[in-house]
Amino acid sequence: MSGPAEPKMPSGTTVVTGHRRIRWMVRGICLVAVIVVLLAARQTRWPVVVAAMSPFIATGSILATHTVSVMACLGLVIGFIALLRLRWFCRWVCPLGLCADGASHLGRRCGRKPAKRLSVGRWIVLLTLAGACLGYPLLLWLDPLAIFSGALAFAAWPAVIPLLVILALSFTWPHTWCSRICPLGAFQDMLSSLARHIRRRTEDGPSPQRWSLPVARRTVLGIGAGAVLASAARLAHRPASRPLRPPGAIDEPEFLGLCVRCGNCIRACPTRIIEPSLSEHGMASLLTPILQFRENYCLVDCTKCMEVCPSGALVRLSAEGKASKPIGLPEVDMNVCLLGADRECAECRRWCPHEAIRYVWSESEYALAPQIDPQKCTGCGACEAVCPTKPKKAIVVVPLADSPGSSGLAAEATCASSSSSGACEPTCERFGEACGPTRVAICLGPRPATSRGQGSTGVPAR
Amino acid sequence: MDHRMNRRECMRALGLSGLTAGLGWTAAPAARAQGIGESSGFQSSVIDARKVQDARTAATIVDGKVIQPQRELPILHQTDVLVVGGGSAGVVAAIAARRAGANVTLVERYGHFGGLWTGGLVVLILGHIVKGGKQVCQGIGEEMMRRMDKLDGAIIDRRPGVNPTVDAEAAKYVMVEMIEEAGVDVFLHCWGVDAIVTGNTVRGVVFESKSGRQAILAKAVVDATGDGDLFAAAGAEFEHRSHNVGLVSRIGNLDRVDAERAKEAPKPRRLGSATPAPGVNWVNLTGPEVDGLDLATLTRMEMNHRKFIWKDVQRTRQTPGYEKVYLVETAPQIGVRVTRVLNGLNRVRLSDLKAATKFPDVVGVGGASNATHGEWQIPYGALVPTTVDNVLASGRCISMDLGMADLVRLVPNCFVTGHAAGVAAAVAVQDNCRPREVDIAKVQKILRQQEAYLG
Repeated sequence: MSGPAEPKMPSGTTVVTGHRRIRWMVRGICLVAVIVVLLAARQTRWPVVVAAMSPFIATGSILATHTVSVMACLGLVIGFIALLRLRWFCRWVCPLGLCADGASHLGRRCGRKPAKRLSVGRWIVLLTLAGACLGYPLLLWLDPLAIFSGALAFAAWPAVIPLLVILALSFTWPHTWCSRICPLGAFQDMLSSLARHIRRRTEDGPSPQRWSLPVARRTVLGIGAGAVLASAARLAHRPASRPLRPPGAIDEPEFLGLCVRCGNCIRACPTRIIEPSLSEHGMASLLTPILQFRENYCLVDCTKCMEVCPSGALVRLSAEGKASKPIGLPEVDMNVCLLGADRECAECRRWCPHEAIRYVWSESEYALAPQIDPQKCTGCGACEAVCPTKPKKAIVVVPLADSPGSSGLAAEATCASSSSSGACEPTCERFGEACGPTRVAICLGPRPATSRGQGSTGVPAR
Repeated sequence: MDHRMNRRECMRALGLSGLTAGLGWTAAPAARAQGIGESSGFQSSVIDARKVQDARTAATIVDGKVIQPQRELPILHQTDVLVVGGGSAGVVAAIAARRAGANVTLVERYGHFGGLWTGGLVVLILGHIVKGGKQVCQGIGEEMMRRMDKLDGAIIDRRPGVNPTVDAEAAKYVMVEMIEEAGVDVFLHCWGVDAIVTGNTVRGVVFESKSGRQAILAKAVVDATGDGDLFAAAGAEFEHRSHNVGLVSRIGNLDRVDAERAKEAPKPRRLGSATPAPGVNWVNLTGPEVDGLDLATLTRMEMNHRKFIWKDVQRTRQTPGYEKVYLVETAPQIGVRVTRVLNGLNRVRLSDLKAATKFPDVVGVGGASNATHGEWQIPYGALVPTTVDNVLASGRCISMDLGMADLVRLVPNCFVTGHAAGVAAAVAVQDNCRPREVDIAKVQKILRQQEAYLG
């Protein structure tokens, strides 16, 4: 789309006026192209290109996931060019850079001065890449392309805040974001200084000039701090409940590190079930994609969100692969379920695309209850979407526990009262809990009256 | 099976002889709406002092087998369109066919109209709307609702996008009114037990009643029995299914629940939903999945369900605040959901619902039980047996896949399929053709004239 095949320009600082005009034109075209792709091609794969151009995201993703995706290759190519041409991407392509430049010029006109200190870009890069080696790229989401892409997803107003902050920053301290904070810019700086170093070594022969002490110290410190912080972040998030993530999402909390909040999955989803997390799951989850099945569900043969993830936070699965990695598992609240009050309803069973729901008759309760087969269920949320109860849905998909392989079931639990058919008996003490060997995902919730106090006059034990 | 074949051959012979007899027969006076007559006062009179029925045709035992000797059946009546079953589908079919210009006869095994809608106390009009609140059940079903709107205490929740609830007695009343106005011949207490078949063509129906086993001859038959008794007897292929068999009940005095004391304990589970009668709720019971054609099962369900309902209401009465709640009644008719399902020329399929398929031969549009999805079209082929002629299915036994069972069987959707079958049968009679060859455009035109919604 835009970018790599741009006209050659002399490196260095001499800028010809004519050249300048061409550069501004190219930048303008790139900005417009990026905006058009992000807005007009919402449900195609094209928006991924925007965030995938970033060599910073590509490197972070490769280090964290140990895989090199096609998208990462694009970032690597651009990174390689950055080795040869100092910050060429910032000067020619970066859409956020152009916006920030505009704000900076405005700031200058108003007499604002660039900040003298606040040079944190390289620290951000070091922390993030060090964290990435441990699977948790701390600040990958600060990438300007991801921020720009996320802001134009228009999924929720908070998604625009990072962009506005950068513009305000650029107005207040002109050029400070681009030159001193932006991790993508800093990463390119580091790449070209690395290239300079290598070049000097090869030119100067076997007596190499060593890294200057401050650089080495900074690198070691940054990497160390990144590793410590990444480990701390992972530990801190371990026990927290994980939100419902799009299909193919890697485990929490690594997801929080790797997700760059670019909004691509939100944009791509044809049923609009992906939305950015706001306050529900804490600051760390802010603007990460979460699923909601209020109106619609995750289509069986759709893999679009995974195709447009630039960082690998959503692993690319095939439609079949999606079935083997469930999004979650539904839980039924029989206090809300119409069948619990003996009302006529067959919606979840009818609409389940995998025929994973059946209604089981309990002679002791003298009622039906939905039962979910976790072997068939993919957590697509069709049942939740069609559940007619209001305001609370009786059947709700909840995330599985993180530990791989357990499918969220308490494997140690033994179910004494399960019948040979594998159906759960309401007389069981664990009725209503996750229960392993029978493969009953969530038991058919008892009436709380039964479980709360059998002596009370609610529904006595039958 | 031998016994059955003998009987069927006998019926066929009868049917043929009846037809060749030409115009010689006299139709019995059907029970059109008339007053009771002269009899008055509280008394009993002898009609026949020494009556003896002919026992030569009674069943007997031959070689240890019970045999029903061959016998001629009296022809009670002849008609254009015969509707067997006076439930929600049958009543609408009869009215529709009559309004389309055919002579119509309706036979019903119980003493009232409405079937499971009234006798089964399934008083919730579930399934007449779709996502967005649009009402797709129009036509004669909607006319019944409008008539109930005008009656006091006949219907509640008649708002757009909401499933209304009717009073079963009001529904029975409205159906009697409409059947009388239309001029449909009615025989109540007649259980259609066999089809009269020549070749592949249904010629009428044999029914059992207190007046004995008799025949009604017809040019077209609408099977509105719910269980598909007629098309099955006529040899049409069907799917035998199990489904939940329950029993509805009504509880009263809910307006006298002590709200303060009721806070002391969890709410009883089975309190049901409001009905037009003040303080009275109807309470559904899903019941286990069983074979609704099996006599022993039906018997067990009737007994178990009534036992459970009584005990459950007693439990409710033990809940603080709910002491005055009482069991008004259990439904007279057990709630059999789906038993026989026709294997017709076409099928109502869940995949078509999901794909919102349009059929060129659409004769009705069904709704969603909870307004959770869009409308689905019912093709005429779903009412027509593949091989047998002159019989059309309607109601909960039309051709459908498993996923559609819980939509097709809903009362408003039975109105819709009944309406379609009635009109199609009338058109077939008028055009003197087999129902499978009926002019669909004409059927659709008449349906639209009768204010049915066809998408």
